[in-house]
Amino acid sequence: MDKINKTLAAGEPIVLSIFRIMTGLLLFQFGVAKLLKFPAVPMFEKVEVLSLFGVAAMFELVFGGLLILGLFSRLAAFILCGEMAVAYFIGHFPKGFIPLLNGGNLAILFCFSCLFLTCAGGGPWSLDAMMRGKR
Amino acid sequence: MNETLEAWTPRALSLLRIVAGLLILQHGMAKLIGFPAVPAFANVQPISMLGLAGVLELVGGALLVLGLFTRPVAFILSGEMAVAYFMAHATKGFFPLLNGGTLAIMYCFAFLYLSTAGAGPWSLDAAMKKA
Repeated sequence: MDKINKTLAAGEPIVLSIFRIMTGLLLFQFGVAKLLKFPAVPMFEKVEVLSLFGVAAMFELVFGGLLILGLFSRLAAFILCGEMAVAYFIGHFPKGFIPLLNGGNLAILFCFSCLFLTCAGGGPWSLDAMMRGKR
Repeated sequence: MNETLEAWTPRALSLLRIVAGLLILQHGMAKLIGFPAVPAFANVQPISMLGLAGVLELVGGALLVLGLFTRPVAFILSGEMAVAYFMAHATKGFFPLLNGGTLAIMYCFAFLYLSTAGAGPWSLDAAMKKA
């Protein structure tokens, strides 16, 4: 068991960056779909820029993009964490208590992933790390 | 600021592990025990592809919540989610938002990270190391 643990632990810093990039990409997707209508999702067809959905979309577009790049990762993740908490309680929680039934699994997972990324930062593959290296 | 956040990282890791474990436990329970009742999982047989996935989710999810054998368990669940994505979602189209696979991808990478980072301080793994 110790050997397995050690092998897995060796990849930690890089996997943190991969995890950050994937979280960013998946959130970015929602922003792009809501504001730029690509890919075309029927549910997001009528999202206005100046509406609750539109503001959420802007957060996802801008801070999701920053997460992908790893620029100001902590700040971006913190804001997205808050956004996802709000999204869960406005969009999913009124439909019922159990996340599997109210469709809020994804929002919860995003929320806690972003909370973790707020603490852990962007990892080695990020603009944050590059900028630190230069200074 | 960054140092304060850095200091909280291990605890946030444990929190992420517990929440991700609880979420995946739900899928296992819905498939095998029938609670919460999800119409799509109403007729899942234990000896079938979905049933096997349910067993992995039920046992793996419970172990993740407890933080026992976290690394290998998270690694197996990460693999399960990758298989789930490519079997059930990728066939429906390229974009995760349209093929409904966003959650599976997110699980896959969250578990992959947990398999490398371990359980954090709030776990049976950590309690056993101390003992």
